[in-house]
This record gives sequence, C-alpha cells and structure tokens, in this order.
Amino acid sequence: MKRKEPLFRVVKREGGSPVRLALSYVVAVVLALCIGALLLAMQGVPVMQFYQDMFTMGMVGSRYPFRVLEGFIRLFVPLLITSMALSLAFRMRFWNIGGEGQFIMGAICAGIAAFQLGNTLPQPVMLLVIAACGILGGGAYGLIVAALKVRFGTNETLLTLMLNYIALYLLEFLGETKADWNFMLSEQSARPVFAQFPEAADMILFTIGPFQLNLSLIIALVLCVLVFVYLKYTKQGYEIAVVGDSPNTAHYAGIKVGRVVIRTIFLSAALIGLAGAFYVSSAGTLSTSVTNDVGWTGIVVAWLAKLNTVGILIVSLLITVLQYGCQAAGTAYPSIDANFADMLQGIILFVVLAADFFIRFRVVIRGKEAVK
Amino acid sequence: MASTYAVEMQDICKSFGSVKANSNVSLNVREGEILALLGENGSGKTTLMNMLSGIYRPDSGSIYVNGQQVSIHAPEDAKRLGIGMVHQHFKLVDNFTAADNIWLGEKEGGPVLRRSRYDRIDEMARKFGFEIDSRKRVYNMAVSEKQTLEIVKVLCYGARIIILDEPTAVLTVQETEKLFSVLRKMKAEGHSIIIITHKLNEVLEISDRVTILRKGEYITTVDTASTNEQELTEWMVGRKVDLNIQRPVVEKTRPLLEIRDLTIRSDEGAVAIDHVSFYIRGGEILGVAGIAGCGQKELCEAIAGLRPIEQGQMIHKGDNIVGLSPKEILDKGISMSFIPEDRLGMGLAPSLSITDNMLLKSYRQSNGPFVDRKRGREEARRVIEELEIVTPSTETPVRRLSGGNVQKVLLGREIKAGPNVIVTAYPVRGLDINSSYAIYDILNQQKQSGVGILFVGEDLDVMMALCDKIMVLCHGKMMGVVHADKTTKEELGLMMTGSLDLSHKYEDKPAGIARDTLFKEAEQ
Repeated sequence: MKRKEPLFRVVKREGGSPVRLALSYVVAVVLALCIGALLLAMQGVPVMQFYQDMFTMGMVGSRYPFRVLEGFIRLFVPLLITSMALSLAFRMRFWNIGGEGQFIMGAICAGIAAFQLGNTLPQPVMLLVIAACGILGGGAYGLIVAALKVRFGTNETLLTLMLNYIALYLLEFLGETKADWNFMLSEQSARPVFAQFPEAADMILFTIGPFQLNLSLIIALVLCVLVFVYLKYTKQGYEIAVVGDSPNTAHYAGIKVGRVVIRTIFLSAALIGLAGAFYVSSAGTLSTSVTNDVGWTGIVVAWLAKLNTVGILIVSLLITVLQYGCQAAGTAYPSIDANFADMLQGIILFVVLAADFFIRFRVVIRGKEAVK
Repeated sequence: MASTYAVEMQDICKSFGSVKANSNVSLNVREGEILALLGENGSGKTTLMNMLSGIYRPDSGSIYVNGQQVSIHAPEDAKRLGIGMVHQHFKLVDNFTAADNIWLGEKEGGPVLRRSRYDRIDEMARKFGFEIDSRKRVYNMAVSEKQTLEIVKVLCYGARIIILDEPTAVLTVQETEKLFSVLRKMKAEGHSIIIITHKLNEVLEISDRVTILRKGEYITTVDTASTNEQELTEWMVGRKVDLNIQRPVVEKTRPLLEIRDLTIRSDEGAVAIDHVSFYIRGGEILGVAGIAGCGQKELCEAIAGLRPIEQGQMIHKGDNIVGLSPKEILDKGISMSFIPEDRLGMGLAPSLSITDNMLLKSYRQSNGPFVDRKRGREEARRVIEELEIVTPSTETPVRRLSGGNVQKVLLGREIKAGPNVIVTAYPVRGLDINSSYAIYDILNQQKQSGVGILFVGEDLDVMMALCDKIMVLCHGKMMGVVHADKTTKEELGLMMTGSLDLSHKYEDKPAGIARDTLFKEAEQ
C-alpha cells in the first residue's frame, strides 16, 4: 500500500526575531497597498498619483498645508486615545466594544457643560470642566456594564454593544428635537441643527507660525506615556495582567477581582469619554456622526498593535493617514470616496493577520522537504 | 514473522515543529497479550498511541495490523481495523445514557433508536464481567463507571486491539483491581491490550511485556516476568534512582491549624465537606486520601479563604480564621497550592513571566505605586537555582515551561513566602519520577523546618511513604485518620469507598480535636 502524503503541511516555526516581525508587517502593508492599486487601476485612477496624494494627505500643492495638518490632528487624537483606552480593557480580557457609546456619552456631557456654562468661565477652566464632564460621562457609561458583570456575571460584549445604540439614538434625539428645553440646538436655524459652542469651550490652540497646535495632541501623547507606564510598571497594571490571564489565580492571590474590573473599565471608558470631549471641543459643536467610528476602528487598531502602547501610536497614525488621506485624495476622483479607505483598511487588516500566521507557522509543500 | 503480531509499529517518527515526539519507535503486540507502555512525562507514549488510533499521522515509519501494512488517516480507519482507544479524558456526551453514547458512534445504528440497544450492552457487560447500567445517564456516573463505559464502547465497535491511556489515574485501589480482572478476561478472549501508565507496580502486576520510551526514543522491550521495578526505572529515567521516599522524623509542635466541625457546600450547592474535624501539627505531613471529587478541592479552597463555609471553625495558632479574606489568610502564613487537572488553572498566571508569578502574592509589600520587579527577578533567580528549574530566563512565560518546572515554580514561590502551614493538592500530578522526587524533597525540607503540611494526594503508595498520618474522605465525610506506617492500602481503599469508618474508633476522644490545642473555648 502506498503511503500518501498530504499536499502541504503546516509546521510551527521557532521563535521569530523582532526584526523579522517588523519586516513581515511592512511587507503585509505593502501587499495590501498593491491590492488597492489593482482596484484603483481598474477604475482608471492613476495609482501613483493617488497614493502620493493619500500619503501626503493633499498637503503638497495645497494653499493651506497647515490647515490639512490641523484637520488630521483633530481625527488622530480621538482614535489614539480611544485605541489606548480599549487596550486597557482588552488586556484584562474584558471585551469592551462600547467605545462608540462611551465616546458619545463623553461628547454629550461635554456638550451640556459647554452650552450651559457658556462664556461664564475663562477658557482654561472651561476646558477642564468639559474634560471632567467627558471623563465622568464616558466612565459612568462603562461603569454600568462593569458593575453588572461583577455583580450578576452579565456578558460585557452584549451590553457594551447594545449601549452603543442607546447612546447613538439619544444623541440623534437631542439633535433632531426642536423644543424649548433643548438648549443644544441653534436658535437661528428653523431646522434642528446643533448650535456652535461658546468660544470659551473651544480647544486651546497654540499658534506656531502659520500652524496652530492643538492642545489635545499634547495631552494625548502624555496619556500614551502614562498608560504605558501604568500597564507596565504599576501594581494596578500588574493586577490587570493577572486578572486578564487567570481570574481564578487573581482571586487566589488575594486580588479583589471585582474591584480591579470596575476600576479598569471605568478608566478605559473615562479615557474614551475624554476623547469624545476633546473632539467636540476641537470641532466646536456636536454632530450625530461625532464618533467618526473610532469606537470600532479603535478595536482594529488595538489588535493590530497587539495591545502594545507604542504599536497603538504607530498603527493609529497609519490608519488616520489612510482615512484622512483617502478623503483628501478622493476629492480629485469622483469614483473614489472615504469608503475606499475603509476597504483598504480591511485589506490591510486581513493581510496582516495572514502575515501573523506565516510568522508563527510555515507551510511545507509535499516532497520539498525530507521528512525527518 | 510480522504476521504473528496483532499490531506492529516500525521506526515511527513524529515531530511537532522542531520537537521530536517520537523518533524511530518500534512496538508490537501479540494477540491475547497485555503490553505496558512505560515512560516519563513527555516521552511520547500518548503521541505514539494517537498515531495508532488515527488522531495523528506519523511523519515516517510503518504500521502493520495482522501482518498487513496499513495507513491510518483518521479515527474511522482505526475503528475499521479494530483499534479502539480509551483516552485519559473521556469523550462522552453527559446528557445521554450509556447505551445512547455507544449508539451515537455506530455506523449500523440507523436513524431509529431501538430498544435493543440496551440489551446489547447488557450482554457485553455480562460477558466480560462489567458492572454497567445501560440506562444510566453519564452525568450521574462516577469516574470509574465512565471509564467502564468507554471500554464497553470500544468493545461494541468491534475493537480487537484496545489502548488504555493511564486508566488507573482516576481509580481507587479496589476499582483498579476490578479493571485489571476485566482486562485479564479480555485478554483470555484474544484481545490485545496496550496500557499506558507510569505506575511501576501496576505494570508488573498486569502486563506480559513492557515497552519503554525515554524522551521520544525507543529504549527496549522486556518480558515483565524477568524484570523488576529498579530495572524499569533505570531504563525509564536513564540512570539509577533511589525509589525510597524519605520520611524524616521531626519533633512535632502543637497544632498549627485545627478544623472543627467544618461543613462546606460545592458550587452546585451539594454538601462537599460534611462535619469534618482534624488538625495539623508543625513538623508533620497529614495526607488527605479520597477518590476524585470527594471534597478535597472545596476543603483546600475553604482553608485559603476562597470559599465561604457553611458552619464550623478553622483555627490557626489559636485564632479563628473563618471569614477572613484570602489576603489576610495569606498574611497569617497559610499557603495553599492546588494543581488542578489542567495544571495552570489556579495559582499561576500562565502568560506572565516567572518573575511576575513570583510576585503574585507579595507585590503589594513594596512601597509606592510601582511593582518591585527587581526583587521578583532576584527571587525567581534563586528559586530557579535552588529547585533546578529548566528555563531560558526569568522572563519566560510560565506557559512555555514543562509540567514539572511549572509545578516547581508554584511550590518555590509558596515556600519563599515562608509559610507555617502549607496546603498542597496534587503537587506531583502528572509529573514523572524525577520531578516527583524533587518535590517530595522540598516538602520534607519544609517539614523539617517545622512547617505543618496538608498533602492532598492521589497515589496511595506515595502517601503511605511520605505522610505521617493520612486522613480519608468519602463523599465529604471523614472516615478516620490513620498512621501512615501502620495502615495498609486495602484499609485505605475500604475507607475511601466508605465501607470502613474509623472516625468513631476512639469513643472517649472526639475525632479530630487535639488535646493540647492552642484554642481556648473561652476565647470564642
């Protein structure tokens, strides 16, 4: 009887070096861009030109290149903070997919503060109040889920998901209901439109020559460092790692698991709420598309970066370039719009996952390698 | 030549990645013969058998069944060739009756459930002397019944070659005896049996020949009649090993931990520990014997403060520790280490490094908000050195270590904390001879330094050699405490199944309450 050998086998690879790892990710991204190029070419779009516009985000040749950069920062900051916050929860194996809802609650609370207090406070104090409202709004929204999970063992994935829609429709309700009590809408317009924030509630911008540096970028970068240190070196970060790895072991070691869960989820949701507050303050108004999908994109970023804080910084930068660049480059071509960014993002995710597989395993074709 | 064997495996090789699980292993079984497959952990016994039953495929080598070369690609192929395997972890549907579990895998069963399915099994059971109720549902069965069902199952599928993977690990002495008599009957019927084990006494008792593997390599095959424990161990380990477990005599101190009238419920709400009283002195090892699931786990968890108790007192050095948090109990110097079936479930965080695991119970002690990893690394280095843990570095995730080393990390940490009471459950679970002895030595050292040890174990021979006294539990009730050097395996076995109750042997003295207790009733 002839011994059959399968066409190919999957063999586990022994520990890869970090250089290899980085290299294969770069290859994966390039590969994804090639697939994108194919799709662009099929629609008759000049590929190189498009990619050039995309990666420079249309800054080259623009009359106001710094405005482009300012717009980029407004999109980048919420995504960075949200991804980082999600990684806090994910490290504890708490599947917080409620970034959208927590972001919106942060934004709504910040909006209420901005409209109600108006110009009564000086700008720096006002911003502190708005930030605090964002933190509390987002944090409380996450706290509900954490408390229910700790107390009744409910499923956090379902609850955070459903709460997203409650938050979203609450925001739409506020944005579309013209009534005497609704102080959020513009009084000048007959149609329901969110009003502009009073000036004191706008984000502080530092003018450097022609460029206006958004304060929230600096805060986001500081938060990055803090989260990194928090997770890696502090006792609370250590507790998160233990609880995430094995709740039984944590309990056994005398860690109060419920308390760690509630604390971490509050922190995670509060940071997302803060991102929401920063965003509305930078935009100067509320809108029903306020989240720009960061609650979802943040999940992708966190996992692509393997929950590594430095990785999150790089990946969120890349993804924002992709999205903002596509928008900018798309203006010249009617067949391309922001959806192309989403698709490209999907392809990248897919290819990177495949690269991940090839980092951990290798495929041996029949007959190619002597079976030892 | 080959035709005389029921199964013959020649020069089998199998690697997982760069790890060679089997290299050039050969083995053969005659009809009507019991072959024992002996080897330490990770020597490739189960891998080899999985290739015979179609779960893995060999990288190279050939397999003959009744002299015919065959290739086994899937469990169905093995079934067709009359090879059946009883796995260590049972593969049964809990909600089904015994008969339905067997019907489930049957090709000729057809779509209709017939009443005759019960009769077939009853008949099979009569033939081989099994005790099995074909209408009983699996979730109502004891471990030994489940195992019997697994064996009946492979017989019903027409297996002539039966592989048993560590069948006795979950059985009491009496149940093992029963299993062995069934195996002998099957052998007389002309079945070939391969039994995997690392208990030498069982190998000598049941098998006709022994095949020994070491680190994936074939060592030798010998006739059981012409060998002995010492020789088998040397083949298995590769060098001379002293098979005697030491039991140093230590000056005993007053009771460190006393348990009085303790009642605990299990997760399901059933009574897991039923009015149990006992005490542990410093400098002694108290063994806890009992069949799986008789309340050992709940008892350990209660002492560590992880499980609320229903009633009773737990007294540590004269203080009642009932109701204290796990952390407060830890601070009193009571250490609990429980090795569950999956070995990593409790006590260690598998993805974290050895350093981080060292700090698990002590990370709070440093000042400030930061974890003192320098101290952890220092401790990890010392434990690695003292217990001879094999690891690339202190930063290696515990998950990547082999079973023996994982357990050494756990025990090492517990001992580093300087406890005065050690509660340890199954510390040598699944470990090979070398690592087991290393762990017995660690426990003996602790005993000599005056620590009181509660040792929940599985292997009665080991407990009788290592422990000073043995407490036997049966369905949560204490059946008595006996001196390890005066009892016999039979006596322990009878107590474990509840047939013998020695707890009221001395009516003048309430069971389990020490006369020289540190705890004064007046203090209550």
